[in-house]
Amino acid sequence: MNASQITRKDLLLLYRDRRTLSVLVALPLAFISILGFSTGQLFNQGMKARTYNVALVDAADSLLSEKIVAKLRDMKALDITNFSDLSAAKKALAEDKMHVLLYIGPTYDERVGELALWDLFHLDEGRLKDGLASLDIQVESGSFLANASELVRALVFSFAVQTIPQSVLDKYPKIKLSMARAASESRKSLEDHLEERQPSLPVDGGPAHATTNIVYQVLVPSYTVMFVFFIVNFMARSFIGERDMGTLSRLRMAPVTRTGLMIGKTVPFLVISLVQTAILFLAGKLLFGMSWGPEAWLILPVMICTSMAATSMGLMVATLVRTEAQVSAYGNFLVLTMAGISGCMMPRTWQPELMQQVGLITPHAWALIAYDQILTRETPEFSVVWKCCGYLLAFTAGFFAVSWARAGELD
Amino acid sequence: MLCSSDDNPSRQSGLASGCCKGVTVTADESSPLSALATDGKQAMSLLDVVELRKSYDGHVAVDGLSFSVAAGEIFGLLGPNGAGKSTTMMMLAGLRAADSGSVTIDGHSFDSGARELKQILGVVPQDLAIYPDLTARENLEFFGKLYGIRGKTLAERVDRILGQIGLTQNANSYGKTFSGGMKRRLNFGVALLHQPKLVILDEPTVGVDPQSRSHLLDCVRELSMAGVGVIYASHYMEEVEALCQRVAIIDKGKLLTIGTLDELLSKTRADLHLRVAGSKPRLGPRLVGLADVDPLSEGEVLVVMHRNRRDSTFAINDRLTLVLEILKQAGAELLSIETREHNLEQLFLELTGRRLRD
Repeated sequence: MNASQITRKDLLLLYRDRRTLSVLVALPLAFISILGFSTGQLFNQGMKARTYNVALVDAADSLLSEKIVAKLRDMKALDITNFSDLSAAKKALAEDKMHVLLYIGPTYDERVGELALWDLFHLDEGRLKDGLASLDIQVESGSFLANASELVRALVFSFAVQTIPQSVLDKYPKIKLSMARAASESRKSLEDHLEERQPSLPVDGGPAHATTNIVYQVLVPSYTVMFVFFIVNFMARSFIGERDMGTLSRLRMAPVTRTGLMIGKTVPFLVISLVQTAILFLAGKLLFGMSWGPEAWLILPVMICTSMAATSMGLMVATLVRTEAQVSAYGNFLVLTMAGISGCMMPRTWQPELMQQVGLITPHAWALIAYDQILTRETPEFSVVWKCCGYLLAFTAGFFAVSWARAGELD
Repeated sequence: MLCSSDDNPSRQSGLASGCCKGVTVTADESSPLSALATDGKQAMSLLDVVELRKSYDGHVAVDGLSFSVAAGEIFGLLGPNGAGKSTTMMMLAGLRAADSGSVTIDGHSFDSGARELKQILGVVPQDLAIYPDLTARENLEFFGKLYGIRGKTLAERVDRILGQIGLTQNANSYGKTFSGGMKRRLNFGVALLHQPKLVILDEPTVGVDPQSRSHLLDCVRELSMAGVGVIYASHYMEEVEALCQRVAIIDKGKLLTIGTLDELLSKTRADLHLRVAGSKPRLGPRLVGLADVDPLSEGEVLVVMHRNRRDSTFAINDRLTLVLEILKQAGAELLSIETREHNLEQLFLELTGRRLRD
């Protein structure tokens, strides 16, 4: 088949054009690495990274306040630093050395002592209705992380409510005794039940990707998809090169069908695109500690469908542009705009709802949705992945149809 | 017969007929040029173009063009820039669809999608159409495979073509390292690999050194001798005169003239130029109707007697006798007589005008 001859020839030419090949692979790899450095996630730095630095001033300095602090220290997302006085902690916050300031006031134990059992069951009406302020606890954050204080505030209040009851119940010995009995029985019943139902339940349960680097779970597929579509430029340049060399006319004069010519010119770039994606995912796993998810094989169909959409789009652009300058102008505009709209540059979940919907007009978005299912979900929804592959193939067919119609005007 | 450029004495004469290294011509394959009829109608028509038309955005590029090319014939297609040559050739090569008219190649109505018809055609485009990052051999092998040639046959043909175009020693060098002439030869060789019956050459010798040019022209002659029909478009009139049996001159998409070289040149003038000591006022009125008188320098004039090649010898003799008698009577001294014969280029300029073309 003549298409295969064209494919072989183009692969040979690409093999000899090492610079282009290296750019195709090295550029996205470098980009992902730079972003990894930027976010402090390279080479598994992420295992301890993206924590909130909490400046703790425990003015209460009691067993009760220590219970809250102990629970906070158990949170991997928080890095607690003790400060002896409030002014030093505030200075660290102002200098952005600390993200959040937690101040447990000297009257904390006293406030807890005033609480009645009723207050524990009526948080919105009783003595705890003012939240942490009711317990002489303050939380502040720097302006850049305004939401952080809200999160820490909720956590501290939650931990306070968990640790306070023991002290409050001391006022009610009968109730405490009966509750202890009931708790003991229910715990035994629960343990028996669990032993019966789930004898092999892992001791360290939790999310499948809890130990992986979530930044790269998003970063690698996002930038892989974005750079896969940069193949559009290389394809268009290849066609313009053929046109400028006069060989495109010669190919058209040869006994090669239009479809054969298009397939022959597309397949080499499809191969490169697949190799590019494979290298990036391998690098993601080996260098950045990303997980391929519980159903790693699903990456393959998404990878193939994405590359097919990208190369057919490249083919379409190749039939629309006339000059190198047009490739640079239209190709880059198209690729970057689509990457921006689709969520390659920032996670789709950060985008407003409207933007997420608009993004669906790009093949990139469908690829990202599929990768999100595979890489970040504990149980990928197969139907979503197949639906995304279907859309990517539909894009491929559409781009190819436009290219076919335009291919008659290639000269 | 297998001949090489070295054993071809005519190579020394540049445009003179010769033989191209490595071309094999057998008795069965050859098509004697003498078989071509002088009226332009060929006994074995390989290509018939009838009333071909093509227009772009209201501009008529080709306007009812008709001609035919026989097997073994080298047919010259001449025209100034924008005359419609390239459009015509693109239509013949299947790169452009005609608005109307018909093209018949080897008895088959032309269909740009028909693979078997593409096998019949070989096109040497004006612009180079080779891959600079492939070697000469790889270029030939790639295009050979596109035409379905494989294995031993391909290897043999590639070797033979490399020999024909004089690139055997450079077979494994990249096209980008070649000189302009070598690239042209490779460009030419690519079109021959599938042994087409009809070869279209569009300005094949532009920008090449005399050696490569001579070699290419020899190859064209050998193609003709092997029975291959050739359409040769060029701005080099001397090449066309030296190569082509028949020539068509087109302009603004229309056919201006067509015929054998003799037929066309017979339409041109072969003027007699008489340098005479005398003055225009004295001689001009006496020679009205017989000759033009143009002043040359102080006391000298040029008496120009126009004649067509088809004019009978008697007619020109009578006129010359009369002119000489008048000059004698006027007391003008005859200094010299010259014959100025027009060539294809002058015919071309007469037909297409001297206005510069874009």
